[in-house]
Amino acid sequence: MSQPGRPMGQTIAEKILAAKAGVTQVTPGQIVDAYPDLVMSHTATWRSVSVMKKIGAKRLYDPSRLAIVLDHISPAKTEKYAADQQTSRNFAREYGIEKFYDVDAGIAHLVLMEHGHVKPGDLIVGTDSHCTIYGALGALGSGIGYTEVASVWVTGKLWMKVPTTIKLTLEGRFVAGVSAKDLMLHLIGTLGADGCGYKSVEFYGGALPDMSVSERMTMANLAMEMGSKCVFIPPDEKTREWLLPRLSDPADYKPVIADENAVYEQSIEVNLAELTPMVACPHQVENTKPVTEVLGTRIDQAFLGSCANGKYEDLAVAAAILKGRKIDPRVRLIVTPGSKEILLEAMRSGILATLVESGALVTNPGCGACAGDGGTMADGEVSLSTANRNFVGRMGSNKSSIYLSSPATLAASALQGVIADPREFF
Amino acid sequence: MNLVEKILARKSGQRSVAPGDVVTTDIDLMVMHDLSANFVMKVFNNEMEEPGIADPSKIVFAFDHNFAPATRDAAEALAAVRKFAAKHKIQHLFDSGCGSIHHAIMEAGLVTPGMIVIGCDSHTPIYGALGAFATGVGNNSMAALGFARSKGWFKVPETIKIHFHGTPMKAVQPRDISQFLVGKLGEDGAIYKALEYAGPYIESLDVSDRALFPLQAIDVGGKCGFVNADEKTAQYVRQLQPSKSYELLQNDSDCRYSEVVDIDVSRIEPQVACPPTVGNVKPIDAAVGTPIDVAEAGGSTGGRLSDIRALAACFVNRRVHPGVRLQVVPASRGIYLAALREGLFETLHIAGANIFPPSAGSNQAFNMGALAEEEVMISTQARNFPGRNGHPKARHFLASPLTVAASALTGKITDPRTLETL
Amino acid sequence: MQDTIQGRIYKFGDNVNSDIIIAGRYLIYIDPVQLAEHAFEMLGEGFPARLRSFDILVAGRNFGCGSAREQASTAIKGLGIKAVVAASFARTFYRNAINDGLPIVECPALYDAVTEGDVIQIDLAKGVISHAGNSHAFPKMPDSVGKILKLGGLANYLKSTLTTS
Repeated sequence: MSQPGRPMGQTIAEKILAAKAGVTQVTPGQIVDAYPDLVMSHTATWRSVSVMKKIGAKRLYDPSRLAIVLDHISPAKTEKYAADQQTSRNFAREYGIEKFYDVDAGIAHLVLMEHGHVKPGDLIVGTDSHCTIYGALGALGSGIGYTEVASVWVTGKLWMKVPTTIKLTLEGRFVAGVSAKDLMLHLIGTLGADGCGYKSVEFYGGALPDMSVSERMTMANLAMEMGSKCVFIPPDEKTREWLLPRLSDPADYKPVIADENAVYEQSIEVNLAELTPMVACPHQVENTKPVTEVLGTRIDQAFLGSCANGKYEDLAVAAAILKGRKIDPRVRLIVTPGSKEILLEAMRSGILATLVESGALVTNPGCGACAGDGGTMADGEVSLSTANRNFVGRMGSNKSSIYLSSPATLAASALQGVIADPREFF
Repeated sequence: MNLVEKILARKSGQRSVAPGDVVTTDIDLMVMHDLSANFVMKVFNNEMEEPGIADPSKIVFAFDHNFAPATRDAAEALAAVRKFAAKHKIQHLFDSGCGSIHHAIMEAGLVTPGMIVIGCDSHTPIYGALGAFATGVGNNSMAALGFARSKGWFKVPETIKIHFHGTPMKAVQPRDISQFLVGKLGEDGAIYKALEYAGPYIESLDVSDRALFPLQAIDVGGKCGFVNADEKTAQYVRQLQPSKSYELLQNDSDCRYSEVVDIDVSRIEPQVACPPTVGNVKPIDAAVGTPIDVAEAGGSTGGRLSDIRALAACFVNRRVHPGVRLQVVPASRGIYLAALREGLFETLHIAGANIFPPSAGSNQAFNMGALAEEEVMISTQARNFPGRNGHPKARHFLASPLTVAASALTGKITDPRTLETL
Repeated sequence: MQDTIQGRIYKFGDNVNSDIIIAGRYLIYIDPVQLAEHAFEMLGEGFPARLRSFDILVAGRNFGCGSAREQASTAIKGLGIKAVVAASFARTFYRNAINDGLPIVECPALYDAVTEGDVIQIDLAKGVISHAGNSHAFPKMPDSVGKILKLGGLANYLKSTLTTS
C-alpha cells in the first residue's frame, strides 16, 4: 500500500494508536496492543472491581492512569446503589486513585475534561460509549465494557483495531436558532446509526474555527450515535485557550494533527447554512426529522442536561429563551447541570435563577434523567430531551416516548407545552 | 376552652366542647403528599360508591418525596394522581419540586388560624403553629369522610401544656429544644393528646421556629400540637395573604390542661436522636466523635431560609470535610430562590456542598438518601428508623442544622457549641 | 468453547440497541441469570420467556448499538443463547461479547436466508454456517482476539495469563 521509502500520511487515529502501541506507523485493519493514557469508569466501577477480585489480581499497572467518577446514579436511591458506590470509594481509597470524583461532581466526561485529565493525543478508554467526546480536545476516546476496563487496570493495555477515517468538512454558518446538536442529528439521520461504524471521524472546514469548545463537545459526543469508534476535532487556538489553564503542566499540551497526505476512506461535506432545527423521534436516534414536521407534538417533560447538552453554554441558550417567561404548566422541565463548575457559573451569571423562575426544577449535577436517574416517565408520557439517546424505555415506561433536540428547541417547547421551532426566538 | 377545643367547637357548630367529647366537624383543608395522595386516590376509586368529591378546593396535593421520580412505579403513581386531580378539578396540585409538603403549603398561604387541617402525613400537626387544629388521619378516613363529605370526626383530646422558659445556650437551636422534649416525654408520652407549646421562650420565637414543635407532636404520640395564636401568627399570615379574613381564635385565660410540664431551656444542650428511633434522644456528648459519611440539612426542619443562612455562615471560606457529602435541600421554591439570590448556594457550593431541588430530600430515600450498610448520616430529617434510608444497619442521627454543619466541617458528629473553635 | 454451534434461530431486525437488550435499571446486576430475567423486556409481551426456546439469535445490521454496557451480552448468554449471528455488530457489543465468551459471527448473507425456528450450524473453526443445505462463509476472528473467546472470555484469559506470569 505505501510506496517504498515513502511513509504513508497518517490520520489522527493512526498516529495516536501507533504512538500508544510503540510503533512508528499503522494501517487500517491492523490490530495493535495499545496502552491508554487514561482509563475511566463511572458508576460501573464496582463491576470492574468485582472482576479484579474474580481473576485474583491485586496490582494495578499504573494507578495514576485510572479515573473514577460516580455520575450515573447520584446520589444513591437504593441500598444496592449505595453499596456499589461504597465499593467504588473503597477501591479508590485502597489504591490511592487521585482522579476520584464522588456523586456530587457531575458527569464523568465533563468533569475529567474540566480537570485537565484529557489532553490532545491521549488514548482514553472507559466504561461509557460517549468517551468519543474526548475527541473535542483531540484525544482518542472509545468505550469498552467493565471487564475490559479491569483488564486495562491490571495489564495497562488492550487490543485495538486501527480504524479507517472519514473526513467531515463543515462550511458556512448556522442560521440563528440552529446549533451543533442539529448538525449531528442531521448527520446521524443521513448516515445512519452505523454510518461510521468502527470508523474514526475527523472534522474540518471553514466553519470549525468559530465553533466553541462546548459545541465541539456536543459534536464529538453525538458522533457516537452514528457508530463512530472515535472522533476528532483537530486542536486549534480555541482548544488551547480552553485547555491550557486546566493542565497541571502546559508542556503536556501536544496536539496531534493528521498528515497532509493522510488517507481517508470517505469525504463528506456539510453546509451549515442549509441546516434547520432537528429532532430525533422515538425510538431511534437515526429517526430524525426537521422540527417543522413534528411541531405541536404534546410533551409532558423536558430534560435539559447530559454530556451532550448539559454544559454551561447549553443552559445559557435555554435561559435566554426562558428569561422573563414561564413554562407551560403541563410541562415538567428538569435541568441537570453537567458539573459543579457549570452549576457555579450558572449561579454566578444568573441563569440558574432565570431557569428556576421560569418553572424549571434544577437537580444536582450528574447524568440525571438521560440515564434513567430521576425523571422517569409513566405510560403514554412524552419527553423532549437534550440527551443523546431515545431508545425505548430508557427514561421509564416502554410505553413512553423520547424526542431528542437541541437546548434551544427544548426551551421553546417547554414554553409552549408542545414541540416548537426555536427560530421564533432568534 | 383552649384553642383546639374552641376550633373543634366552632367547626362542629357547638357552643363548647370538652376532652372526651366526640364531634363531627367541617374540614377546611386536606393535605396529601405524593405517596399518600396515591393511596387515598386508590381507596376513593376502589372502595367508595360516591363518584364525586364534596369540595375539591379544600384538597391539596404536594409532590415532595419524588422531585424527579426514580422508578417507573413512582412515575405511574404521580401520573395517576395528576389525572385524578384533573378529573375532580382539584386545583391545588403542587408538582415535583414544590418543596417539602408543609412548607410548600404554608408558603402558598393556604392555612389560616382557626382552620381544621387534616393530612395523610404524620407531621400535619405542624400547622398548629399557625393556630390551626391540624392532625394526621388515615387514607380511609381521608377518602371516606374528607373527600366525600369534607367532614371529619374527632375525639376532643386532653391537652398537655409545655411551658418553656429561659434563654438557650449559644448554638442551641429550637430543634434541640423540641428534640429534648421528645426525649423527656418519651414516644408514648402524649398519646392521643394535644400539646400546647407555651411560655416566654416559645413566644420569643418566630412562626417558622415555633413550627418545629408541633412538627414533632407525632414523635410523642400526640394527636396535634399548637402554639396559642398571637400577633406574630397574624403577622405571618398577613404577609402571605394580606386580604384573607379569619377569626384569630386564642386560648381562654381559664382553659384547663391535663398536665403542665415546665422546661428550662437554658439547661438544654444540643440534642441528637440516635438510631434506631426518634425517641432515642440524647445530649450531643453521647454521639460526638462518630464519623459520618453524609450530612443533610433539609426537609421540614433544616431546609428553611434561616437554616440555609446559618449553614452558609459556617462555611464562609471553609470546606466540607473531604470524607463527607453535605446535601442541602431547600424546603420550598421561594426558599430556593431566596437562598440563590442571597449567594448562600454559592458559598455552600464552593465549600463542597451539593444543592438539591426543593423537596422532602432524603426522607424515605425516594430520590436520594440511600445508605450502604456501613454508612452514617446526620441530618435534620424527621425519622431515623432502620431501613428507611437504605440498608437496615446504616445509622442515621437526627439533629439541628448547626450540629449538621459542625459535623460536616469535621467529618464526625460535633458539638455545635465548638463551632467557633473549628 | 466448542468449535461447532447448532440450534434454532430467533430473528431480529436492524439496530437492536443496548437498552432493548437490557435496560439501564438492571445494570445493578452482573449475574447472567438475573440479567436474563429482564433481557429484551422492553419489547413487551412474552419477552424474555419466548427467547428461551431458541439457541441462536440472527440479526440484521448494527446489533447491540448504543451503550457500552457489557451486561447486554451477559443477558443474552444468561438466556442460554449460544451465539449471535448478525449482518454487522456495533463495536462495543462485539468487544463485550468476546470478553464475555459469547460467540458472535458476522454474516450478512445469512439474514435473508433464514426464518424464525430454522436450524443452523455454525462451524467456528472453518468459518462456515450451514443452513438448509447451503453454506455461508464468514470471516474468522483474528487469533489475537479469537483466543480470548476460545478461553471463555477475558476474565478467564486474564486469569490464565496472570497465573503463568
